[in-house]
Amino acid sequence: MDRRQFLRRSSAGVAGLAMLAGCTGAGDSGSGSEANGSSNGTRTTSAGSDSTATTGSASSGGTLRVATYSSFTGEDTAGNWLKSAFEKENSGTTVEFLTPENGVNQYVQRAKQGAPIDADIYLGLNTAELVRARKKLDKPLFQSVGEDLDGADGLKKPLRIDPKKRAVPYDTGYISLVYNENEVEEPKTFDSLLESRYEGDLITENAQQSDPGRAFLLWSIIAKGEQNYLDYWKQLVGNGVKVLSDWEPAYQAYSDGEAPMVVSYSTDQVYYHGPDVDISKHQIGFLNDQGYANPETMALFESANDPQLARTFMEFVLTKNAQSKIAVKNVQFPAVKGVTPSKEFDKYAKEPPETVTHSYDELAGSVESWVEEWSRLVASG
Amino acid sequence: MVAAGRERVNAQHWGERLAVPTAFVLTVAILAVVFYYPVLSVLREAVVRAGSLTAAPLVDVLGDPFYTGVAHHLFTAPLSIPAGVLEWVQSGFPPVEFGLFGFTAYQAFLSTLASVVIGLPGAYLLARFEFRGRRTLRSLTILPFVLPSIMVAVGFLAMFGQNGLLNDVLGALGLGQVNLLFTLEIIVLAHAFYNAPLVTRLVTTAWEGVDARRVETARALGAGPFRAFRDIVVPQLLPALLTAALLTFVFTFLSFPIVLALGGLRLATVEVWLYARVQDLELAEAATLGTIETVLSLALTYLYLRYEARQTTASGGTTLPRRALAVGWRTLRDPVRIGLAIYGVAILVLFVGPLVSMIVESVTGPNGLTSAYYEFLLDQQATTAAGTTKPLPAIANSLAFGVGTLALAVPMGIVVSLMATRGGTGSRLAETLMSAPLAVSGVVVGLGLLQTLVFGTTIAGYRFTAGGALAIVVAHAVAAYPFVTRNVTPALAGIDSQLVDSARSLGASRFRTLLDVELPLVWTAVLAGGAFAFAISIGEFDTTVLLAEGVESYTMPVALERYIGNRSLGPSLGPATAMGTVLLLVTAASFLVIERLGGRWEP
Repeated sequence: MDRRQFLRRSSAGVAGLAMLAGCTGAGDSGSGSEANGSSNGTRTTSAGSDSTATTGSASSGGTLRVATYSSFTGEDTAGNWLKSAFEKENSGTTVEFLTPENGVNQYVQRAKQGAPIDADIYLGLNTAELVRARKKLDKPLFQSVGEDLDGADGLKKPLRIDPKKRAVPYDTGYISLVYNENEVEEPKTFDSLLESRYEGDLITENAQQSDPGRAFLLWSIIAKGEQNYLDYWKQLVGNGVKVLSDWEPAYQAYSDGEAPMVVSYSTDQVYYHGPDVDISKHQIGFLNDQGYANPETMALFESANDPQLARTFMEFVLTKNAQSKIAVKNVQFPAVKGVTPSKEFDKYAKEPPETVTHSYDELAGSVESWVEEWSRLVASG
Repeated sequence: MVAAGRERVNAQHWGERLAVPTAFVLTVAILAVVFYYPVLSVLREAVVRAGSLTAAPLVDVLGDPFYTGVAHHLFTAPLSIPAGVLEWVQSGFPPVEFGLFGFTAYQAFLSTLASVVIGLPGAYLLARFEFRGRRTLRSLTILPFVLPSIMVAVGFLAMFGQNGLLNDVLGALGLGQVNLLFTLEIIVLAHAFYNAPLVTRLVTTAWEGVDARRVETARALGAGPFRAFRDIVVPQLLPALLTAALLTFVFTFLSFPIVLALGGLRLATVEVWLYARVQDLELAEAATLGTIETVLSLALTYLYLRYEARQTTASGGTTLPRRALAVGWRTLRDPVRIGLAIYGVAILVLFVGPLVSMIVESVTGPNGLTSAYYEFLLDQQATTAAGTTKPLPAIANSLAFGVGTLALAVPMGIVVSLMATRGGTGSRLAETLMSAPLAVSGVVVGLGLLQTLVFGTTIAGYRFTAGGALAIVVAHAVAAYPFVTRNVTPALAGIDSQLVDSARSLGASRFRTLLDVELPLVWTAVLAGGAFAFAISIGEFDTTVLLAEGVESYTMPVALERYIGNRSLGPSLGPATAMGTVLLLVTAASFLVIERLGGRWEP
């Protein structure tokens, strides 16, 4: 806490200097910052933010390019809040979002082909993607941000998946079952899903390309063991599990009443509250009293233009204020301990009794063959 | 003065003489840059390993029972086959596994069959009967082509699901329940939803091109109606029918979003698998699958084109007269008309049902009727937040790219048709190669474009990258022009070559002849092809997403996909279905405009 205060104060001094420097270069500083603001429209907020520059950080000025998924940006999103809040606190800085359609694969392929990486930070990385990025390239795509990132010591322990400290979690979902209690009794364990009374009752997602689908598969590997998970899935397929492409079609099919259970997130009730909602259709079930954590992480590109600015941004993301805003707007749990997003969020978002997940090292050797064996089993079934 | 005048005439003459060859060279150049180079850059991963040629990836895939089933023996141990067959016979013909490729071909065969069975009566209805709204209906047959598969999947879920509209109606009538979801049947039906209109459209165009005088002559010579139909009409419909069936087979062989959304992993096709391999960045295996698919579908295309070359479609002359559909009370006694009425009901269930279901979905929330999803669209439009996908620019971009594609794909398509019909030896092979965009997996094309044009290619130390509107239009045109060709080639081939020869011998340039003689004769086919080009541009998703620069050049399908990811209104497809409804309305309106305008220009 003291350290943070100290940094704040000292950085204010530097920001003041930067402002002075900006004044001496007077004439074109205004037009210069407008040229920076290629993300049009929102620049208006930073015009007024000059007055608050005293609270800014060391690396004042410059553009930070953040690659992320498209639904993280736009109207009323966590991304948009982060952008304006960060720009306000760091005068002269512009946050620019890039949303490549194929996610982090875009940058792995770029690195492979020797094409320029046009981003500083990737936001929205999961453990398996980090493994893939490392495995497909000779040189690392991301750099380690080390131990000294402000606020990193407050991160929830199970979410610290990367021993090399490249990927820093900023929020997490817990994979769980969502079920309709009018139609089925809550299944308590993985084994109970094999009972004939649950025949044809479960919808899950394709672990090849869906986050919750892969998380559920990985969870089943923790529950049943590496030796037995395929045998377990063979029986699950025999019991009529439906494996759909991704979360949207799976949840749609669930809402349409195609099956009374679906693999989803334990935050789903946050969407469905209010007096006239039948919450019995949105019950959360934690198999084996567990939930599989699927932390969303951010990482700094090896080739980042301004690593210092990027680190400032990452620290900003880990502040309690930002953590609670991200949680509410992204409907995921905060990654930092002791953050209370909102009363409503606390009431409807369910945290599992026990959190399980795989670390980077646990996935590094095996995740590809696990998924491959699994998908061949299902596709031939 | 006279000399100058002659020079000008000469210059114009030269310009006209060069017009066709220039257009040909341009077409080839565009193809090379946005199709061949990108695709080959992906496929080379299948045959090149560490800089040298290898067959290992191909052998790995072909010898893997998961991919080729029982046929893997062909590649791993060909000598064991006779013994294996003997063993199989001795054990009483147990069921044989054909692997992923076998399953993919099987579902494509079923899908083609269903599309032809569902599409043909439609062609009969549209070509041979007159009724109110016939032309509107004909225009709308192209609509399924532009609908994003995710919307179709939602529509199908809502229509054919356990609690779907169909089961509600069947229940009310006291009939049993159907449960089609996540089965092969629903995939075949969804493929028919996309491809039966293609059959209808191509066959209708051919049917309308049948020269009534030849039928009359046959009848006058004593042939009965059936005989005249079999000997005169059928041979002229066959090329169009086979084109449609072949295209359907190739499309459904390469099918992936529909299978992904409606079938799930248990009914995976090769393309679904290829996509997963790309996601995992297992590019060599993906390229190998892509190569095998491409070889198979190009071979089919080549065989078909050889067949088509022997066929001709007569054109010009008078078209067959249409009969009135409704003839008062007699309508109810005519078996043909009753059959058509039953057909109409089936069509309503299959085509209108899912669309209506999608629209219903866009106005219903968890608590009944809601306008929240359309308000969402308005909010998106009104916001100033960076990176927001707004509906109006999406509509404007879609229409602009559609018009651009039309302007580029129609000349390209005609040029290829010209080469196919008037070319010399080897023109079949050339035509096959130029029709390749139909036969190459969309995932492979997308990946190729990403690696070459989007990331850029370094030539002489400078990195060339393509993005933005022009790249999108060119990419759309490449995907679309084969449809212009498939519509125009049979019609051009049907033109009496004496007409062309006499125009040429009177001194007209090749270009003049095309413009003044041939095109007016095949105008309906050009128009049909143009409508396809526009439809493909509007519905195209994969390459648009890759080539769209940042937030500026997104289209309606891209906006729709982004709204699916937007969960601000909870886990629902509401905003996407609202955008889907807008897409449906905008495109339906534009097809009506295209065909009405085209009709006015009809000679």
